[in-house]
Amino acid sequence: VDWAKLVAEVAVRQNRQAFDALFNHYAPRVKSLMMKNGASEELAEDIAQETLLAVWRKASQFDASTDGVAAWIFTIARNLRVDAIRKARNLIPLDNSSYGGWEDTLPTPDEVIQAQQDRKRVSRALAMLPVDQFQAIKGSYYEEKSHGEIAQALAIPLGTVKSRMRLAIERLRANLDNEE
Amino acid sequence: MSIVHHPSEMLLSMHAAGELDEGQSLAIATHLESCRLCRDTVLALESIGGAALETVAPVGMSAGTLERTRARLERLPSAGAARPKPIGAEAPLPKCIQRYGVAHWKWVAPGVSMRPILLPRSSQTRAFLLKSSRGTSMLQHSHSGIEMTCVLAGSFSHEGGRFSVGDFDFGDAAIDHQPVVGSEEECICLVAMAGELRFHGVFGRVIQPFIRL
Repeated sequence: VDWAKLVAEVAVRQNRQAFDALFNHYAPRVKSLMMKNGASEELAEDIAQETLLAVWRKASQFDASTDGVAAWIFTIARNLRVDAIRKARNLIPLDNSSYGGWEDTLPTPDEVIQAQQDRKRVSRALAMLPVDQFQAIKGSYYEEKSHGEIAQALAIPLGTVKSRMRLAIERLRANLDNEE
Repeated sequence: MSIVHHPSEMLLSMHAAGELDEGQSLAIATHLESCRLCRDTVLALESIGGAALETVAPVGMSAGTLERTRARLERLPSAGAARPKPIGAEAPLPKCIQRYGVAHWKWVAPGVSMRPILLPRSSQTRAFLLKSSRGTSMLQHSHSGIEMTCVLAGSFSHEGGRFSVGDFDFGDAAIDHQPVVGSEEECICLVAMAGELRFHGVFGRVIQPFIRL
């Protein structure tokens, strides 16, 4: 299935069938990843729904020339999860909250071109990463963890899994450094 | 000018996974604005996050969620509405800082002033701009929590090296240092700090109660 094409269908024609296909594929996966990251089933399901609503709303902002639908949906879900955790901690809703560092404002044309060049560089560097190192980083997103553990993680000495991941990211950075 | 000091691989991956609080992610985002290598790294980590999403074993949604979500689509505009830029911060500040309100400069010590950044209360880390005049020698200090610093102007040095524009410094309870500001110009940093500073020496202990960073 060409997911990027389905996002384009949503953007251009508000195609409901395309939306259904995206929902049926990605909502259960967002829910699963959120639960692995410590969200309750109820919260994970809320985030999955909000994520797909954002896909509908922001479809025109997605650059269909890339194959990065999953990465795009991943960042939407991640930011919604962070917002949800912060709202819960604040007790009162933040009407203007959004994860620091990820602006929700529309990019300028220059920024769009820049982003395309960035993504090309990054996918070349990723393509040269050995499979086991790619898996080591990917595996870090599957770790079952609660938010309390995450808060402590900065102070915990690097375990084997973490050090494998660190080595993999070092290699990735060396690849990126060679991309000009 | 090339950047020498970067956030650790661990910090960048926690940033990409959304596991840092506002203050900490602001410190990383400030560094990312001036460091293409770290920006690319986070982009690559997000791409791998996408691969994780694609291969995770799906967990079924409750009955009727697609229908309920579709019903909500009817009430949504299809184009992403741009949010207004928050006001209150001057233009030269990095974009990620301009998203927040910034309070007035406050005197801290001779040659040192600070300007709090108004983060939502959910952040366990405070963030502020710290301005020190050229050649200022800070008191020997350690941290009770994690401190992240990104240089916006000027430079400072401590036993970990020299830190100039774009450089990122990480300090935790194990670090005990005495930064000295470069003599070329005043130094402005974004600092994200959890816990308190602990000053050493007789003078440091005397002024401790008066310095609140």
